[in-house]
Amino acid sequence: MTATSSLLLVGVGGAGARMAKRIVDSFPGDIRRLIVDSDAKSAQEDEGAEFALIGGERLAGKGSGGDVITARIATEESFAQIKRHLEGVSFAVIATGLGGGTGCGATLSLLEEFTDLGITSIVFATTPFSFEGEERHRNSRGSISMISERANASFFLALDKLVGEADYVEEAMANAVNALSSAVTLFWRLIEKPGYIHLDLERIRRLSLNAGRGRFATVRVSGDNRTYHALQELTSSTLLADGSHDVRSIICGILAGDDLRLAEIGELASGVRAAYGDKAAFEIATVNDESSFGGELCVVLMLFESKVKEEHLAKTSRSRRAKSAKGVLAKPATGFPDGSDRTIINGEDLDVPTYARMGLTLDL
Amino acid sequence: MSTIYAAIEIGTSRTVLAVGSGEAGERLNVTCHAHIPSAGVVKSQIINVSQAAQSVKAVIRSARDSQHAKGTNLSIVNAFLVVSGQHVVCEPFQSVVSIAHGKVENDDIEQVSRKARTMALGRDRELVDVFEQTYSVDELAGIASPLGMSGSLLKLNTLQLHAPADRINDAYTAAGEAKLALREPLFAATCAAEAVLDENEKNLGSLVLDLGGGSTGYAVYSGGVVAAAGAIGIGGDHITNDIQTAFLCTRGQAEALKTTEASAILGRTGLGARITLDGTAPGGEARTISRKALDTVTNARCRELAAIVRATLEDLGLLHRLGTGIVLTGGGAYLEGMATLFERELGAAVRIGNPVNVNGLEDAEEPASFAAIAGALICAHRAYEEKSLWQSIKSTVKGFMK
Repeated sequence: MTATSSLLLVGVGGAGARMAKRIVDSFPGDIRRLIVDSDAKSAQEDEGAEFALIGGERLAGKGSGGDVITARIATEESFAQIKRHLEGVSFAVIATGLGGGTGCGATLSLLEEFTDLGITSIVFATTPFSFEGEERHRNSRGSISMISERANASFFLALDKLVGEADYVEEAMANAVNALSSAVTLFWRLIEKPGYIHLDLERIRRLSLNAGRGRFATVRVSGDNRTYHALQELTSSTLLADGSHDVRSIICGILAGDDLRLAEIGELASGVRAAYGDKAAFEIATVNDESSFGGELCVVLMLFESKVKEEHLAKTSRSRRAKSAKGVLAKPATGFPDGSDRTIINGEDLDVPTYARMGLTLDL
Repeated sequence: MSTIYAAIEIGTSRTVLAVGSGEAGERLNVTCHAHIPSAGVVKSQIINVSQAAQSVKAVIRSARDSQHAKGTNLSIVNAFLVVSGQHVVCEPFQSVVSIAHGKVENDDIEQVSRKARTMALGRDRELVDVFEQTYSVDELAGIASPLGMSGSLLKLNTLQLHAPADRINDAYTAAGEAKLALREPLFAATCAAEAVLDENEKNLGSLVLDLGGGSTGYAVYSGGVVAAAGAIGIGGDHITNDIQTAFLCTRGQAEALKTTEASAILGRTGLGARITLDGTAPGGEARTISRKALDTVTNARCRELAAIVRATLEDLGLLHRLGTGIVLTGGGAYLEGMATLFERELGAAVRIGNPVNVNGLEDAEEPASFAAIAGALICAHRAYEEKSLWQSIKSTVKGFMK
């Protein structure tokens, strides 16, 4: 068993599968990964990946048709199959694109199951381009708050911002994946090629437990005064500019070759803390990878805004409560007559008591 | 001479009837109001026409009896219908007409307004109400009063509220069985706003939340017009259901817990206290439940509702345009802590909206729960006044033309 075998990259939905493939391609080492999709075609994206087709007979491998509820049910039904791919996993990094049914619905169901299994989860989710259809934006908007509640840490990245100023589709998507992959692969790099300041997987897992919603940016610089240039680029990054709350915790990953100096680490640490609040909890770690970053300095900065999990949003047993014995999303008692229209908003059945959906424990 | 109006709301929790009278230009007097528990209505939609018809008959009888006790005979032949529910949809619509004589005249304004009201909807939809917002003359937008302006095209921005025709027809059928003819439908939340808001609040920005049994209606006012309106499919019934499910009690017990014991906010003193359920529990023994658990269940549902309201306003770009705050109407406004919860969750001042724009409801129990029906009477009165005004203008113009 390798050092990273308990770390799993999960690509959810068609966009997630493609993102996972590109992320893996950008990383020289081995990444254990699982693709979860309702469309059988995604199995062809990455032959080295484990693949779980959700929906079985219900969807016949043809996708969820953009239906979030269908994708949630399909994931619940297929979880026994998905679970076979989770042996030994304690930490899952989910890559997905919000907007489609599977990206939104399956991610939500997976997060509930991960919680029940004690798997720590970090979500990297892209949100649709501004020119995409209203239904995709509605699905995306509706899923964000639910994913934030269920994941231990989550990042939502507007594709409009990720692609930068690229004119061509391929260049735009490459920009987006480059930005994503540096952040996603940081966890593998920290473990496989630790530098002067080491951050082990258990420490990362514990840091992520209550991190909540975050934002991140990566910069890659070289030449003279590279810490100055890195800080300049970070502080002007639009990806870090949209926070609406105080920064509560910061993870700063420094990836470099053998030429990384201690003074540079100190300059970056003090610069980041000065820019984003010296009262925030701060963790810094280095990766020493001469073959990938020789002569360069890459900084991955993750800012976590708030601890979203209040006591009453405790997640234990949420999915267990929501499921019937058959494993299908249940129709729990609602008090409304059978057959009456159900109140579905953003993919959630609001006729089901809120306390039950939240998994609240009632001191009766 | 006073004109008499009646309005009825066949709601999820109760059926309400009110009668009002007023002279042109004068404040409306609510002369009679009655309410009885509804039957056959779920989530603001009639699911049993016979039971709904019985509710209509019962409420008419109740109103008649109360008037009879005062020595007055009451005969109601028709009433405006107040509707609410998530099935009511709000959409923007712009109507356009050519300006006939180079400058906007009253006829142009009337024509563009009429055109907005006769927009073709699908055969399965029925127009509930139209709210006029602002005019444009050619490229110049945001005009409140275009009369006398030069141009070639007059445009009117409106909000159109419409609902499935079958759902409206069910109400007409139920009322018909009770020998009550229904007039035009009116939307509950905007009616409530007419009863509780003053012009200053409409101008500076205000949100009216009509917390009904089956749904929560909303109407946002800004710049003196309805900026948005609609309904969210969560109402007081959801809270009752949650309580019933959590504590395995009867519906009556759950309803009593909601109205007399529950709080929308957590952290009240005496949380260690226990509450004895009214009546006999299903197991046959008197039971007690924890106040903390009751508040947890209630708070979870109310916070969820507040979060949806907040997200809805954010999506519409109206959250920060509530200059004068939020006004709660409907029975849900009286749930303990509801105003505080919305104040915290939406970051705006909140008050309970008594129908201050009519006379006659000062002594009503929980007057905010009559806001929608009172507002419907105001709307009826105003429509009658406007119709009279137009007829007066037309006859004056015809007089000059002779």
